[in-house]
Amino acid sequence: MTVVELEDAVKRYRSGEQTIEALKGVDFAAERGEMVTVIGPSGSGKSTMLNLVGLLDTPTEGTVRVDGRDVTDFTEDELTEERRSGIGFVFQAFHLLPMLTATENVELPSMWDTSRDRRDRAVDLLRRVGLGDRLDHTPSQLSGGQQQRVAIARALINEPKVLLADEPTGNLDQDTGRTILDELTRLKEEEGIAIVAVTHDEQLLEYADRVVRLVDGVIQE
Amino acid sequence: MSVTDLLWRFPSVQMAWRNLGRNRVRTALAALGIVIGVIAISSLGIAGVALQQQATTDLGSLTNEVSVSSGTDSTTDGVTDDQVEEIRSLAGDAAVVPQKSNATTLSARDGEEVFVSVTALTQASALYTVSAGDSPDRLESGALLTNSTAGQLGIELGDPVEYDGRLYRVRGLIESSGGFGGGGSELVVPLSALSEQEHYDTVTVVAADGDEAQAIADRLEARFNEGDEEVLSVTSFASTQESIDSFLNTLNLALLGIGSISLVVASVAILNVMLMSTIERRGEIGVLRAVGIRRGEVLRMILAEAAFLGVVGGVVGAAASLGVGLVIFQVLSGDPLLVFGWPSVRYLLLGFGFAVVASLLSGIYPAWKAANDPPVEALRG
Repeated sequence: MTVVELEDAVKRYRSGEQTIEALKGVDFAAERGEMVTVIGPSGSGKSTMLNLVGLLDTPTEGTVRVDGRDVTDFTEDELTEERRSGIGFVFQAFHLLPMLTATENVELPSMWDTSRDRRDRAVDLLRRVGLGDRLDHTPSQLSGGQQQRVAIARALINEPKVLLADEPTGNLDQDTGRTILDELTRLKEEEGIAIVAVTHDEQLLEYADRVVRLVDGVIQE
Repeated sequence: MSVTDLLWRFPSVQMAWRNLGRNRVRTALAALGIVIGVIAISSLGIAGVALQQQATTDLGSLTNEVSVSSGTDSTTDGVTDDQVEEIRSLAGDAAVVPQKSNATTLSARDGEEVFVSVTALTQASALYTVSAGDSPDRLESGALLTNSTAGQLGIELGDPVEYDGRLYRVRGLIESSGGFGGGGSELVVPLSALSEQEHYDTVTVVAADGDEAQAIADRLEARFNEGDEEVLSVTSFASTQESIDSFLNTLNLALLGIGSISLVVASVAILNVMLMSTIERRGEIGVLRAVGIRRGEVLRMILAEAAFLGVVGGVVGAAASLGVGLVIFQVLSGDPLLVFGWPSVRYLLLGFGFAVVASLLSGIYPAWKAANDPPVEALRG
């Protein structure tokens, strides 16, 4: 079942007098329970593509679908709701909020839903990623691998259908990177989440069900 | 239970609290600006109130009196009986007390001499309150003497005083009154004592209150003085108080204006601090937006930070102003607790309200800017 889909997506940026075409008609889809790795040299449009899939940005031309629904013309507020309910993000630099504890960072996406029992769920997620003993630590008291696992728990708090990872192992050493990738694989298998990872890291290819190569804004299978 | 747990139900406030805690020095300095602004507004306002209350107290009961004497265009050297009758008819229910005045020197048995002003009138009760003896409605015989003068001369109630060759028994001791023309030594005798003087020097009209006194004064002016002519000189202390009040109100407004400048400066400082901190946290706000935090929620979070600065600065500033107010009232009126009266407390609330409103206004632009930053741009930091 297709969770997110790009159809003939084009993205152009205006940079001064020049117009840069970052994506030149990309077709892409991610299915439930698969890990797709997007690789390519820098400047190839990987991040742009991930931004479109993650509904952080809209394509200049083409169509974006979530669960088969066309969300291309959604307003920013509607896109926010889609991100909130269906998409989890994991960043290279973790992007945890420094003043919040691990538990609070995990709660963050559902922070404004006071009706939900978010605290218990956050603690449960942290236990599942092996941080049950680090609940009240702030990011500065955690190692890089631990921070990335907090970020993964945060991405899962709203039970997303797809998890987008931008260089998830980029700031981690090889062994730590491997534990993160094991974690993502387990999520994929146990929860049936689609995982789209953008990377330079060769290590990630071993874990991928499918590799998409992006060169100059065009997908080369 | 920590503050954070308490704020659990208010995520915007909780996040704001945490964010402000990240850079305590900056937060404290921003709040300090507000504190100073509130102190400026509140304590200047309270100073104005204290001045006004003190002025009213000093003017005392005189504000309901109208004083009439012969004017520069009068053909007689005083107020005539006919004019007194007309004044009576224009004064309505107010007491009209015609007086003749003079001055003399009273001497004690031991040779001590005191210079006193002499007032001759009939209706003593309307103008004088006594600390001992009585103040008769119709003073036909005997005299009243100021308390302090009696003390100086060793005169007690019932003792005689001599004026113009006649003896008057002191039947009442006058409290020394404050206000205009008061405080001096005064001997009050029956009108018969100055019978050789044909006209009255002064006619005092005692009205129920300042407004009525002013109305009577206006009627007298209209009746006796046409155009620039001044047949009778009409002085109302009500108008004096009115002009003092209006002057003090103007002064108060000017003081508040100066005070609010400092609050404006403080809110510009808050605007700066909020703008800086949202720019610094641009990437973080991008993350918030990416994980599905709504624009309105980001807006509320940053407005809550600004409001926090305003509330904390406002509370501390109001408390400090209360301290300043206690000192001001102690110095001006000797009763520091008067600061808890509504006129002063009003300025504390005003200062606090201004602080919160100014901070919120300063927070609007940074909050709006942060909330509407496209997530992709913000994530790049």
